Amino acid sequence: MISRLDKRFVRAAILLLVLCAGFVVASLVMGSPAAAAEVAPLVTTPSTGTLLVQQIINGLAFGVLLALASVGLSLIYGTTGVSNFAHGEQVALGAVLCYFFATTEPVTIPLIPVEMSFGWPLPLAAAAAIILAGGTGWLQDKFLWNPLRKRRVAVLQQMIVSIGLSLALLNLLQWWIGGERLRVTNTIGTRYTFGDFYIDRQTIISVIIATIALVAVSLFLLKTRRGRATRAISDNPALASASGIRVDGIIRLVWVMAMALAALGGILLALYENGFSYDSGGRLLLLMFAAVTLGGLGQAFGALVGSIVIGLVTEVSTVFINPDMKYAAALAILIVVLLVRPQGILGKSERVG
Amino acid sequence: MPDATTLSGIEHVPGVPKPDAILTAHGVLRQFGGLTAVDVEHFEVQRHTITALIGPNGAGKSTFFNLLTGFDTSQDGTGTFDGRELRGMSSAQVARAGMVRTFQLTKALEGMSVLENMRLGGQDQPGENFFRAFVAPSWRTRERELTEQAMDLLARFKLDTKAKDSAGSLSGGQRKLLEMARALMTKPTMVMLDEPMAGVNPALTESLLDHIVQLKNEGMTVLFVEHDMHMVRRISDWVAVMAQGKLIAEGPPNTVMANPAVQDAYLGAHHDTDLSEDKS
Amino acid sequence: MGDLLTDVAMQAFAPATAAFVLAAIGLNYHFGLTGLLNMGQAGFMLLGMYGFAISIREGLPLWLAVLVAMGAAVLFGLLLGWPTLRLRGDYLAIVTIAAAEILRYGMRSQTFVSVTGGAVGVPGNLFKWAFENLSPFPSQRVTIWIFTMHGTKSTSWWLVVVAWTLVALLSLMFWRLSKSPWGRVLKGIREDEDAVRSLGKNVYWYKMQALIIGGVIGALAGIVWALGSAAQSDAMGRMTTFWIWTMLLLGGAATVFGPILGSILFWVGLALIKGLARLYIPQDVLPTTAIEPFSLVLVGVGLILLVVFRPQGILGNKKELAFHA
Repeated sequence: MISRLDKRFVRAAILLLVLCAGFVVASLVMGSPAAAAEVAPLVTTPSTGTLLVQQIINGLAFGVLLALASVGLSLIYGTTGVSNFAHGEQVALGAVLCYFFATTEPVTIPLIPVEMSFGWPLPLAAAAAIILAGGTGWLQDKFLWNPLRKRRVAVLQQMIVSIGLSLALLNLLQWWIGGERLRVTNTIGTRYTFGDFYIDRQTIISVIIATIALVAVSLFLLKTRRGRATRAISDNPALASASGIRVDGIIRLVWVMAMALAALGGILLALYENGFSYDSGGRLLLLMFAAVTLGGLGQAFGALVGSIVIGLVTEVSTVFINPDMKYAAALAILIVVLLVRPQGILGKSERVG
Repeated sequence: MPDATTLSGIEHVPGVPKPDAILTAHGVLRQFGGLTAVDVEHFEVQRHTITALIGPNGAGKSTFFNLLTGFDTSQDGTGTFDGRELRGMSSAQVARAGMVRTFQLTKALEGMSVLENMRLGGQDQPGENFFRAFVAPSWRTRERELTEQAMDLLARFKLDTKAKDSAGSLSGGQRKLLEMARALMTKPTMVMLDEPMAGVNPALTESLLDHIVQLKNEGMTVLFVEHDMHMVRRISDWVAVMAQGKLIAEGPPNTVMANPAVQDAYLGAHHDTDLSEDKS
Repeated sequence: MGDLLTDVAMQAFAPATAAFVLAAIGLNYHFGLTGLLNMGQAGFMLLGMYGFAISIREGLPLWLAVLVAMGAAVLFGLLLGWPTLRLRGDYLAIVTIAAAEILRYGMRSQTFVSVTGGAVGVPGNLFKWAFENLSPFPSQRVTIWIFTMHGTKSTSWWLVVVAWTLVALLSLMFWRLSKSPWGRVLKGIREDEDAVRSLGKNVYWYKMQALIIGGVIGALAGIVWALGSAAQSDAMGRMTTFWIWTMLLLGGAATVFGPILGSILFWVGLALIKGLARLYIPQDVLPTTAIEPFSLVLVGVGLILLVVFRPQGILGNKKELAFHA
């Protein structure tokens, strides 16, 4: 069973690497950096074919970033059975924390009437954000999720706990940074154009970092002992525990990883979209569920595949429908998948009803 | 003592037709991916008998049981119950046709009282229709009738004193009895018991066996899946043995247990099942 | 302080509170009675709101507009239920949220702006008049005891009377139905579907009925909400559904008065927290703009504590809970 999954993962990972390498090569060889004032829509009406290709490019980029954000959701579901409704806010938290450390504007922490200012370089701020976010994962599992599991609280009840957490976190973020749209970095991105197509430098960097992170996660799951233990728990918790795997420890690790990955995803998405707000993550929650469900709930690599598909659907759909409906298109896919193949692309055919 | 008179003279061959079959199944095939769980050519259950369906673990008994009661759908096969075609019938339709089942893991609805559990088993209650539910007079009479029927059954199963208690407060054995009593509310012609002895403490087995025999005496047909060979020997008129998805033997209990093919199937898969003579 | 208490007390009977009671009553059919994890109740409210407002705008009489709103909810329920009622709990939750969000994106989109008014929605002056014309109250601000509200327009005494009468009627209906054999079947389904099937009941159809009825009541809630506020989609996102859940769980799922108690406590409590925060917490610790999100953080934490320590809420019966380990 496991070796068959291995091949698919490796293929998916290689495919992804090739795509991203293709991006980089294409932009460096064919593109010419053109300073872009802001991300404005193309003035001349391009042909549908051109738009389609551009949106495919955007969709793949968005999909990779979405994958980074949602792989944690899949890992948590796989190992604990909990659909974490607060995952969207965890993604936004990453961007918020990064902004907190990176910006030169004075910032405050809720309830503490002291202004502070950090102005760290972006990589350092991002690292700090990711570490702190991982810390929130550790805290959550230690003080909330683990005790709930020990008390044998029903999975559906835990789901509602995550809903409460989502409510609290969303409003905490709004309390913290207010309602306006902020930018993680103030540098104006360069836009590479090749022919009729364009791609922003920030997008390329985000996609590369995301791919590296995803490959790292894949290697972790495939090659390391803890990674294999994680997959074993997802497959069959009773058997995993009986064979000596320290399930609690692995789940703690999963929470830390999932939150860290979500935060990284949030930061990269904020770079990709040139801005974020307190509800950027929440808006993505359903897309993440769609991606994870499409790929196969509980299958980390499914999250990858599903995210690419959802990313493509979301962006490509704007060629045919109004952009303010693009999320609806992705959600429609979610519903269709659940009807046709509830276990998703990579999932096992188990009862979902 | 098992009463095999109606079945005397029938060949002890798997899939043998019965003189008055209440349940038949033909060409039943159930596959899970590449695995064939059930592949039964032909099977018939004689009316007014107690038939046991046995076999080692993984033989496909539970799957076959679920297929017969409508809780699973087969890739292929037909069947009849009391003359009606079973194919395409949902589990609820099968129950309404007169074939009721119990569950290995007892499903006493613990949030409800014992009496409410029983009333839920009641049939033809107009109050279960959304619109009629508003008009209390239209269902009060039936509710009274059902309550009476329920109390009678509860008394028979010695649960009448517990009628108002929550079903969750009953012991495991009492819940088994409740589930059986509740099933009888549907006035079934055939009762399908899924491992009725599972998890039952020995003190209760006698009374449970008596209740099952009583079902036959009241004119019902019983089919049960079991691992407990003593029970099988004690009360079944007829035994069907499954192994690896197929029906490998049929006949009265003693004949079947002495059948070398059956012994092979068990010894090969399940070492600790005691097929020996019942010493009690 | 006196003003604060009056404002807070008004929350107890405000039309918005009543609207949420209705939404919670609808959810009570879904989750309280049947154990369905409907995370899309805001979608039903949306349909009610727009169905009603658009119908009035297009010239339909009041009673027909209400029927249209209810009809839209029935259709949505059928469409939603047909594929999803066979799915497991958490799948149903995700699909219902997705469906509600699709509705919201649709209503909000420029694509349908000629029908729905896009992000702006349907302006109040195009539909509220049909309801306000029926008001026996004078068209001015009226003070009853210590409370002052407009007699007829928008959030008005007239709407208060109608909304709470609706609450009373629908609570009565819930009471009757939950005690009936129909209610008994739903409660059985909540506990164990297979057991109910084995007794000959068509589980799928019962779930569908519960979904539709709860959804129709949600649509009515949407109408009440729109009459007091606006026919605009931003208020009906997934957070709104989460609030409805909080109210139902707080008051006690599967009880008759749970939705009422839960909604009143929610809105009164929220107003109290916000009012006290405004009065007593210094601005540099908690700026005015942060008071609303601050209070909602407490709501979120409250929901967590509620679900963990007292999932049956205030009035609920622990044995009747729909959560099974």
